[in-house]
Amino acid sequence: MRKNIHSVTTQIKSIQVDCDGVKIFTLTDPEGWPLPTFTSGAHLDVYLPSGKVRQYSLCGDPIDNCQYIIAVRDEKGGRGGSNEIHGLKEGMILPVSLPRSHFSLVDTERYVLIAGGIGITPFLSMLPVLNRLNVEWELHVCARDEWSVPCRNILNKYSNSGRIFKHFSLQGNRLSLESIIKGIGEKEHLYCCGPSSMIKEAIQKGVKLGDRLHFELFGYDDTLAEAVYEVVLEKSGRVIPVPMGQTMLGALRIAGVKVPASCEGGICLECKTRYLGGSPIHRDLVMSADDRKDFITPCVSACASERLVLDL
Amino acid sequence: MLKNSSAKWSGTVKGLHRTPRSFLPMKNFESLSLVAGIGIEGDRHATGEAFHSDRPEEGRQITLFEVETIEALLRDHNITLNPGDHRRNVTTRDVPLNHLVGKRFRIGETVLEGTRLSTPCRHIEQITGLELFNQLLNRSGLNAKIIIGGNIFINDTIEPE
Repeated sequence: MRKNIHSVTTQIKSIQVDCDGVKIFTLTDPEGWPLPTFTSGAHLDVYLPSGKVRQYSLCGDPIDNCQYIIAVRDEKGGRGGSNEIHGLKEGMILPVSLPRSHFSLVDTERYVLIAGGIGITPFLSMLPVLNRLNVEWELHVCARDEWSVPCRNILNKYSNSGRIFKHFSLQGNRLSLESIIKGIGEKEHLYCCGPSSMIKEAIQKGVKLGDRLHFELFGYDDTLAEAVYEVVLEKSGRVIPVPMGQTMLGALRIAGVKVPASCEGGICLECKTRYLGGSPIHRDLVMSADDRKDFITPCVSACASERLVLDL
Repeated sequence: MLKNSSAKWSGTVKGLHRTPRSFLPMKNFESLSLVAGIGIEGDRHATGEAFHSDRPEEGRQITLFEVETIEALLRDHNITLNPGDHRRNVTTRDVPLNHLVGKRFRIGETVLEGTRLSTPCRHIEQITGLELFNQLLNRSGLNAKIIIGGNIFINDTIEPE
């Protein structure tokens, strides 16, 4: 067995073909040992044989610590990770990270959940928890049609709950985010997961919700540095230009500066780096306001001043 | 009350724990099998499957942790650390682990030698989801090597050799 001492070693126990280019992978310990626990809304990094690292939400019930279930849509024209994982076979060893969550359930009276496409996945670990908590919730599922709803077998467990509302674009039944947001009460929280267009609309229309709006963006948001600036490395004294169209991380790599990075989408914080001067443009999706005073994520963030000084 | 008139202290085994690979939860056992110079049968430190196995260390064949620290975390910080969550192999009571670096002591039929104090790492926070690091400074247990192997059991006596 390959040793993966710096990751959680899992084995692909089963692969189930789901709808519309989606496969569901069930991962277990090779010897059936319990796996590290996770909380609702958690995701993990999957370390692919090519060296690519991709994040997938856990779709199982957090009470079950003997398996991780992930659902992966083969993204045509994507960065290649989903295509690679679709090529994996049952029985293969697949190292993963510890589960972690930036999309956790907070304590409130009622939850409104909105899922766009494969964005259904983090909610699948929330529903059993919400049911056990015996709190009010409703889930809006947005898809092209009934057959393109991922993980229907898991979702069907809740079909009689009367809490799931489906919105199919081919039937002209699109979700009105605006009306949902208007209906959110003071003791309700709104959770959104889906494509960037949906999240951007939720952020724009949900400003008044403040910290009662929670969102998780899947995939790569192509936010590249929009202006030419220089990165100054405080410790080495090097000055590295970041040209138009290049990310800060990309420019650092080209210059031979090693910065650990994983998702490269502003989610995992693997590349989080201390900065000492300049005016950063933060584009990560998860850092706290306090952290942003001292740290930047070079994978997606940029700089509004002529120079950004990094503690490297 | 000292169980042995020549002993300055005497304690007991309150928990036994092991896991086969890094990150996986520790399971509790009634007994563990110690192999001299190697480690614990089925434990990640013996099989080279531990998080630190790429930095081998003779003195990390077995690790110990005081139950009094678990009690202090609850008493002073309202932190509940479940058995084995500290990720050490042996939970002890009435054993001054911080005094045993360079000292030999018995657990049942086995003899161990303390090699260094364990240090906390962020790894445990990742696994337990608890903010523990600062609270475990200077009381994170003891690393030891196994001089004489054998089986150890819950409630075994621990005494100086």
